[in-house]
Amino acid sequence: MSIPKLEFPPFHLPPEAEALRLDVRAFLKDIVPKIKTEDRFASWNTASPEFSRALGKKGWIGITWPKQYGGSEKSFLERYVVTEELLGNGAPAGAHWVADRQSGPLLLRFGSEEQRQAILPRITAGECFFSIGMSEPDSGSDLASVRTRAEPVPGGFRVNGTKVWTSGAHRNHYCITLVRTSGQHGDRHKGLSQLLVDLKTPGVTIRPIINLAGRHDWNEVTFNDAFIPESCLIGNEGDGWLQVTSELAFERSGPERFMQNFYVLRELVRVLGRNPSGRAASILGRLIARLWTLRQMSVAVAGMMQGGKSPAIEAALVKDLGTIYQQDLPEVARVIAESDATTDDDMADFLDIAQYATMMAPSYTIQGGTTQVLRGIVARGLGLR
Amino acid sequence: MDKETRDMLLETAGRFFTERCDRAVVNNVEKGVWPADLWKEIEEMGLPLIAVAEDKGGVGGTLADMLALLRLAGEHAVPVPLAETALSNLLIGAAGGTPKPGPATLALGDLKLSGNRLSGKVARVPFATVVQRFVVVVDRTLVVVPASGARVESTPSHAGEPYGQVSFDNATVEFSGASAVSAERAFELAALMRSMQMAGAGDRILATAAEYSKQRVQFGKPISTFQAIQHMLAELASCVAATIASAEAASRDADEGGLEAGGRFSIAAAKSQCSDFAHRIAAISHQSMGAMGFTHEHILHHYTRRLWVWRRDFGSESFWGEKIGAAYAKAGPDMLWEGLSASRYPT
Ligand SMILES: Cc1cc2nc3c(=O)[nH]c(=O)nc-3n(C[C@H](O)[C@H](O)[C@H](O)COP(=O)(O)OP(=O)(O)OC[C@H]3O[C@@H](n4cnc5c(N)ncnc54)[C@H](O)[C@@H]3O)c2cc1C
Repeated sequence: MSIPKLEFPPFHLPPEAEALRLDVRAFLKDIVPKIKTEDRFASWNTASPEFSRALGKKGWIGITWPKQYGGSEKSFLERYVVTEELLGNGAPAGAHWVADRQSGPLLLRFGSEEQRQAILPRITAGECFFSIGMSEPDSGSDLASVRTRAEPVPGGFRVNGTKVWTSGAHRNHYCITLVRTSGQHGDRHKGLSQLLVDLKTPGVTIRPIINLAGRHDWNEVTFNDAFIPESCLIGNEGDGWLQVTSELAFERSGPERFMQNFYVLRELVRVLGRNPSGRAASILGRLIARLWTLRQMSVAVAGMMQGGKSPAIEAALVKDLGTIYQQDLPEVARVIAESDATTDDDMADFLDIAQYATMMAPSYTIQGGTTQVLRGIVARGLGLR
Repeated sequence: MDKETRDMLLETAGRFFTERCDRAVVNNVEKGVWPADLWKEIEEMGLPLIAVAEDKGGVGGTLADMLALLRLAGEHAVPVPLAETALSNLLIGAAGGTPKPGPATLALGDLKLSGNRLSGKVARVPFATVVQRFVVVVDRTLVVVPASGARVESTPSHAGEPYGQVSFDNATVEFSGASAVSAERAFELAALMRSMQMAGAGDRILATAAEYSKQRVQFGKPISTFQAIQHMLAELASCVAATIASAEAASRDADEGGLEAGGRFSIAAAKSQCSDFAHRIAAISHQSMGAMGFTHEHILHHYTRRLWVWRRDFGSESFWGEKIGAAYAKAGPDMLWEGLSASRYPT
């Protein structure tokens, strides 16, 4: 049969990763209770430079990177464990998150030696935070259509254009920005490059975009004749598309795809009490089983990646299922809590939490590639397109 | 068995199932025809003895080897009690017995053993009307009762397999030994066996629906070119992926943790998950194949109907969900992540 078979070979995280888990847990046990409750619930959306610095001190940011850049040269699987422990314990990991997952590895792979030396040690210290400047008013899923233009001028580029949905730009230091450096708008993948943009650059203006939950995470970032020095070009001129696609494929299937609102499940356990009805236990158990399954899938993908394979379809499947789980979770949890909560006090808190989770839920299946874009990737993998 | 031996065995078995378990054979079983030749050949290949020690005449494979074979059997809707017999034989061997030839099944339920006599009733016993013996675990005793010692009322499953209600009325046992597993554990292992069969069925359903979409032409082109169909099949793939991943992880955990108690939580979670997704897998695959998939003529129903039956066998998603939920609720919110990340019931 010509349809490729899906495989998720069960994988054990190695002993050194499990040992690290205990260290991370012990560290979080002291720190997390001191964090404001709302911030704990927002975990991945809560930027705490203070927390990130403390984590950096432990050597847990950029953990896989070479020591010369402040990394610990540990495996990708140890990084996996750190990520899931942060999520599982509600740590406010939002400040360093993009730099750790995406921007740092990008610089390691494509950046100049000067860029690496200047930036990576500050990332691992938890002192330097990044945004992603890909989306534009007219370019969402169709990213190759970006219009922001970087015109070569002596010593660098003059940049004009607008980026939107730029998470954290108002508090971060840099934004890796996808721009057109040559050719025409219709050239698609050709002529795109990525620039390392210092967000304090004159001509760069950052305005808030408030999301439906009332939070200021997003920004509009406009470039008005902003001068970006040549030394801030990442890799070769014209390689932007190649870089962006490798960046997006990286870690499509990590724990953040199914554990961003883990707190809802934990709080559901709290409101249902120690001795719930059979019906409530059953619904809770099915939610736990589904999360466990997602974790098995995600760990299997991590294992395949560690083994040198590139399980692109499997990774897209984890993200598709995981983000939909996160979207379902607040709904299922609220309904069963409304009929089966055992304490009124906890219930009032729970409904607040569930309401917040409900408001965040639409974003999971949009950010980093929509459900439909992912399904397109899977369909191609199945040989249907 | 080593990986090479297992791969070879699976390849041989796969080829055999492809040749011998075609549509007619599966349909005939539904009409009540017992495929004696097929069973004989399966026995000649040693498959029902895959997880029985060599000194007892078995193949000497592990629980994991057996489960890998059963995933393959699920992929071919093998219409004989290979799964039930293989697990029964494993348990007989582990209780110090030597399995006899002939199909067997597990009758797990509320049964009483006094001396050498077994009494009680079990509903929905798979292949009850065609097996030669029933394997039962009561407390820590494993007993084997010949078919002649039981009263069997035929209650075919909705997949047309010869299920039945089995009553023992002071039945004489032909073998009795100290069971290596508790009655509850036997039930868990049976649930795990079904999960792997469901994974196999999922594999086949995805391949069938995807293949069909490339052949079927409407509006002048293969329906696989319609984005709606592509996205449905991608979602189908995600449900099948979850089924496979959960069943495989539970198999690994059960195998590594030992026959007696390995992977208890993983098995519960996997059966809950596999049962949960049976609905989407069936719904999407049928939708994508239109009327053709709804006919008795096409093979799709061999697999979707089995999913609908298997999800209820040896504990549905409600049953296993309740077990998991009750244990986690009892331990409280602070134990949730610790348990989940260790694939264990919280303590
Ligand atoms: C919380 C959040 C944080 C974000 N942070 C950042 C950030 O930091 N930096 C950044 O650059 N971007 C960021 N984004 C933007 C994100 O990358 C885009 O939202 C995403 O790529 C989708 O683009 P869009 O919103 O323009 O939707 P569109 O592409 O306009 O899509 C609208 C709808 O059309 C569907 N659609 C589009 N194309 C197809 C197709 N070919 N086939 C079928 N259906 C299709 C989509 O699935 C969707 O349902 C963020 C988004 C969210 C929600």
